[in-house]
Amino acid sequence: MHELSLVQELLGQVMAVAKEHNAKRVTRVSVEIGPFAGVVLDSFDFAFEALKGESVLLEGASLHIETPPAIYRCTHCGATTQESVEGFEESPLSARDFFQRGRCPKCNKGELYPVGGDEILLKQIELE
Amino acid sequence: MCETCGCQTQGSSDGKVVEVNRKLLEANNLTAQENRKHFDKMGVVAINLISSPGAGKTTLLEKTAELADGQLDFAVIEGDIETQRDAERIRAKGIPAVQITTGGACHLDARLVHKGIHLLEGEMNKHGADVIFIENVGNLVCPAAFDLGEHKRVVMVSVPEGSDKPSKYPTAFMRADLFIITKIDLLPYFDFSVDEAISSAKAINPNLDTITLSAVSGEGMDEWLSFLQGLVETR
Repeated sequence: MHELSLVQELLGQVMAVAKEHNAKRVTRVSVEIGPFAGVVLDSFDFAFEALKGESVLLEGASLHIETPPAIYRCTHCGATTQESVEGFEESPLSARDFFQRGRCPKCNKGELYPVGGDEILLKQIELE
Repeated sequence: MCETCGCQTQGSSDGKVVEVNRKLLEANNLTAQENRKHFDKMGVVAINLISSPGAGKTTLLEKTAELADGQLDFAVIEGDIETQRDAERIRAKGIPAVQITTGGACHLDARLVHKGIHLLEGEMNKHGADVIFIENVGNLVCPAAFDLGEHKRVVMVSVPEGSDKPSKYPTAFMRADLFIITKIDLLPYFDFSVDEAISSAKAINPNLDTITLSAVSGEGMDEWLSFLQGLVETR
């Protein structure tokens, strides 16, 4: 439920940028939320809808959330794996499948562990 | 908008797109850096303790106070949603402690801890400390996102909670330095696999150190105390 705190931070930053640019209203807010950020996207969206009405500047804004793919690295060969894995086109397996199986698809020796992906970024704002 | 270089380009005549690319928790992270400098100036190692409610954070600190008597001086910043209870338990052991009540928030942030540091300095009244523990609000999800300015992050899971917790709450383990399994005196009564808990935590973070202990029986407490001594010697 820290999504509410995160959205409060977000709206504070959006307001600051909007004021810098003497905007009359904010129409769109784009954020990037990493796959391991521990954020529930529905709750984040709900908090945005609930809080944006507190400001005339923000009340018409829509929220756009981008989620970059999860990236995993191997403990043995160091290679990184993301999204679907080549060579498994017939029954495609995702990097997450290999993480859960505890096997690197590249060397078949090490285990995969997640790298980064815990960032939450304010990417872009559209203003009028 | 310019997709290639991300420059600030006018959209339509009355609209424009501003590229920001800023961390949402930037303000928190800056305060956390200030906290870290403050801890360095005090000459202390700051440790952020994260676990679900009831995993035994306060009990571990009480037992640490009993066993470390004379060898390790520490102080505690307690975070809870309500009440002074945990700070009172720690003070009863002769350890300086301050309570931060978040009034509903499910995690501590760097600003609250900054306030806690100043309160604690008053409480410590010129007595030095080797370690400052920040006992986070009991919650295995939200505290993980907030850097408090700690030097080390410790995540705890107790035996009754089950050994699947690292797999179910991976974010808490990603940025942790040490994983403690607590209440191991209860292992005979619960279906808890220490191997599963440790291997799934290490799958998320291969550099994680691990300790298994019971603050009630005392088993494993020597390992915890040496971990702390090691941090103090290399601070």
